Amino acid sequence: MLSVKNLSISFDTDEGRITPVRDVSFFVPQGKTLGIVGESGSGKSVSTKALMRLLPGNAKLSPESEILYRTKTGHELAIHSLKPSSRELGRLRGGEIGMIFQEPMASFSPVYSVGNQMMEAIRLHRGVGKGEARAIALDMLNRVGISNAAHRIDQYSHEMSGGMRQRAMIALALSAGPALLIADEPTTALDVTIQAQVLELMRELQQDLGMSMIFITHDLGVIAQIADEVAVMYLGTIVERGATRDVLRAPKHPYTQGLLKAIPSINTLQQRLNPVPGDIPSPSERPSGCPFHTRCPDAIAGVCDRKPPREIAVSQTSAVRCWLHDQDARNAA
Amino acid sequence: MLRFVLERLVGMAITMLLVSMMVFVIMELPPGDYADRYAFRKYSGTGVSVTEADVQAIRVELGLDQPMVVRYFDWIGGIVLHGDFGQAFAFETSVVNVIGDKVWLTLAILFTTLIITYVISIPIGIYAAVKRGSAADYGLTIFSYLGLALPNFLLALILLYFANRWFEADIGGLFSSQYKDAPWSLAKLWDLVAHLWLPAVVLAWSAVAYQIQTMRATMSDELNRLSVTAARARGVPEGKLLWKYPARLAINPVVSTIGFDVNRIFSELPIVAAVLGLTELGELLLRAYLDLDMYVAGAILLLLTFIIVFMNFISDILLAWLDPRIKLGA
Amino acid sequence: MSDVTPDKLNTADERERQKRLKYYSASQWTLIWWRFRRHRTAMIASAILGLMALMGVFAEFVAPYGPTTRDARYLDGPPQIPMFCDQNGCSWQPFVHGVTTQRDPVTLRSVSVPDPESRIYVVLFPAGEDVELLGFIPTNRHLFGLDDPDAKLHIWGTDSLGRDVFSRTVYATRTSLSIGVLGVLISFVLALMIGGVAGYAGGMTDNVIQRGTEVVRVVPIIPLYMGLSAAMPKEWSTTQVYFTMTLILGLFGWPTLARRIRSQLLSIRGEDYVVAARLAGARPSRIIGHHMLPSFTGFIIVDLVISFPYMILAETALSFVGLGLRPPTVSWGVLLQEAQSVRVIEQTPWLFIPAAFVVVAVLAFTVIGDGLRDAADPYSEAR
Repeated sequence: MLSVKNLSISFDTDEGRITPVRDVSFFVPQGKTLGIVGESGSGKSVSTKALMRLLPGNAKLSPESEILYRTKTGHELAIHSLKPSSRELGRLRGGEIGMIFQEPMASFSPVYSVGNQMMEAIRLHRGVGKGEARAIALDMLNRVGISNAAHRIDQYSHEMSGGMRQRAMIALALSAGPALLIADEPTTALDVTIQAQVLELMRELQQDLGMSMIFITHDLGVIAQIADEVAVMYLGTIVERGATRDVLRAPKHPYTQGLLKAIPSINTLQQRLNPVPGDIPSPSERPSGCPFHTRCPDAIAGVCDRKPPREIAVSQTSAVRCWLHDQDARNAA
Repeated sequence: MLRFVLERLVGMAITMLLVSMMVFVIMELPPGDYADRYAFRKYSGTGVSVTEADVQAIRVELGLDQPMVVRYFDWIGGIVLHGDFGQAFAFETSVVNVIGDKVWLTLAILFTTLIITYVISIPIGIYAAVKRGSAADYGLTIFSYLGLALPNFLLALILLYFANRWFEADIGGLFSSQYKDAPWSLAKLWDLVAHLWLPAVVLAWSAVAYQIQTMRATMSDELNRLSVTAARARGVPEGKLLWKYPARLAINPVVSTIGFDVNRIFSELPIVAAVLGLTELGELLLRAYLDLDMYVAGAILLLLTFIIVFMNFISDILLAWLDPRIKLGA
Repeated sequence: MSDVTPDKLNTADERERQKRLKYYSASQWTLIWWRFRRHRTAMIASAILGLMALMGVFAEFVAPYGPTTRDARYLDGPPQIPMFCDQNGCSWQPFVHGVTTQRDPVTLRSVSVPDPESRIYVVLFPAGEDVELLGFIPTNRHLFGLDDPDAKLHIWGTDSLGRDVFSRTVYATRTSLSIGVLGVLISFVLALMIGGVAGYAGGMTDNVIQRGTEVVRVVPIIPLYMGLSAAMPKEWSTTQVYFTMTLILGLFGWPTLARRIRSQLLSIRGEDYVVAARLAGARPSRIIGHHMLPSFTGFIIVDLVISFPYMILAETALSFVGLGLRPPTVSWGVLLQEAQSVRVIEQTPWLFIPAAFVVVAVLAFTVIGDGLRDAADPYSEAR
């Protein structure tokens, strides 16, 4: 469906060149959900923006980066080499890949009704007339559980509640019928109860429509509910990936272990929380060697701070980038 | 919507009332009064000697012996009830006669200037924001600095000079000499249009510079909004995207400052008019001030301010119509 | 990392630490100055404006002649540009040609014609007219002039009365800049009082003041200025006119600034430290002046600098049409009054030189204002 290989992204800034995403590879299977977890600044949003070529002008993909996508009609599309104003890219955005964002309020233009923006996308990608587009939009609003859709369709986003707005945002992203949905922290700005409803809705829609999904979050709890596979990112690199069940049950990377320990649970109410110590360094001050060694409780002096670790398969489904699991190379060094 | 309009209308009336008081005070400021100047003007050089009693007679005749408050109400009452702005002594006729069709000429200049301002500054401001940091952007920034620094009346002089030098043409004025005193006709109207562009360009000069900067700044902010990225992620083509999403919102600040633009244009009008030899309200105002013909000056000041207040009102309504976030009647 | 010896690392670290320490302990004004210094165009603009100000302060010394001194032998004369060479060879000292008066054979008017055979040398610090520098230091030395005391040097030409355009421009710079300074100061004091009361009191008082401010803002400003200056009696002395003009300019410059002060005050009125000061029984004037104003002085200064150009432009415009300063006072506007018609500009384009001063001064103030605005914004460092 979608495969990303050796993706590296750098930005030219006034302070010099920074590379917030380094050598990232992942694969989204048909009809499945890939969860990407990481703290803010880990490069998870930047990498998904690259999938739709939404990065600003000062961003550059490295020459070995590869983003391959199979369209609904079965064509192979090399997204990394599409021209910025090409028709393929226009069709891809919205028509093949849909995107929803963390801030539903800011994602809608305040001067057009929700229906106006939905019908624009529908007419762009489905080639239908005004009346039909409105019917499709209404159907979509009904599907995401917006009551009284016939009235809501002509409302502005600022006239809706937070949960409803996020539902409308999902309807908008799905209205053009994408085969892959990228959700960039769609539930972070919502109340916990509404968060659960929205997650439930997204899972249902995914099954009904047979979509693939990339779900970005910093919350491992959300990943457990929605993702089939998970990739854990730290400072622009995927440090561990695999089937959600395996990774969450037996995390191999000290960072994943730290994240799991930091989740409060009923059983540990009496204990203090265990946050991962320290702060994530800024991309311009990236540590040498393994980027996590400055915060890692198990760091091996003279190894982890020298050379970045390579990716090691630890089971059929999962892989990790950590010197602790790379006995051979450590001995060779 | 109706309530919104009514509220604005009431606000407008209050503002105009206060403005009229201020204008009246300015009319009363020059030393001596209307009767002195009237008598001086009428009899100086005629050999008739004027006594204080004669002046006093004029004063009583014109009601100038009344206290200031009474005179103010006479004046404003005349304007509101009968459209009578008083007497213009330098012309020995009523102010209304002196002003005549100059109001329409002034409005023609105003609207031509506004149209030129927006037609130039909005697309250029958008372009500069999209191409932020490019050579074209820097060039436009320098131009807009210059636009703010070179006063319109100096620009007018420079343009006149080069027109004279290169084309040996006198491009000043609002009409060619054969139409100046001719009755209105299609040919005269066409002649006006042919002359209108120069004062309009000169008056638009600083407004364009200012609005390019405003437009560039707001457009830059709007371009960074998530709603723009979201629309792009839905596959909206770039050209349509720019106009429909960021530009549509970036225009709001421009709309909300229409009143300020009109104010600026009127502010510069008298001096530009003097340089270009325009025959409209600005030039008449300047002449009235120099002659201390205060009823004419007061009437023009009041009219110009009324146009500004009215354009403010129009801009409020436009803005409410353009931006659904402004709740009407709330 | 391995190629950095511990010794080197320490000193580099230490230097970095010292730099940061200095940065964190610097006062608000030092920080603004540091940021402003990096703004190269603004620094150039400051230098230009500084030169203009010096020119104005030491006008008696910089100008070779008085603003009303006439040279009857050189009426409407073009600029005399000092040269090093002519048809008779070169000299190491710059010189100009002498002037002889002839009668034009056609119009019979007397015209000044340069005499290429006579050379008069340009010198520094010649003796000339007696003046009082800064108003109290008597001297007869000037910055430059001709070594022949009977001849006069007009590097920017003369007007129809034979007055030296350069000298007049120098004196005009003093008038125009000082009237701007006084106008800005007056409007600042007014804005501080009116905006201060509105922002501190809030409520009904604020509403009334806002209405009043709106009335002043809605009337076209130059026509309003004109009305006030037209009311100045014709028989007033130049000093009276000068100070009335500063008052008029100041009177109408305040609304923008008052709005800024008001909205800033309103926004910090509820801050804990202000409430604490009020509870401690401090007087309103002390609360405003001591506790509230310092938090946005930077913005006020930026606004003051930005309002300068408006003062200068307004003065120039009013004097240009004869409703501002009047001769014999010289200001940029008064000088430009002589260059009002196309005919004059064609025949004596050098009378238009003061216009360049207006443009350069306004440009400089605008650029400095922008530089200061960036420097006063504490968040600009992050970018």
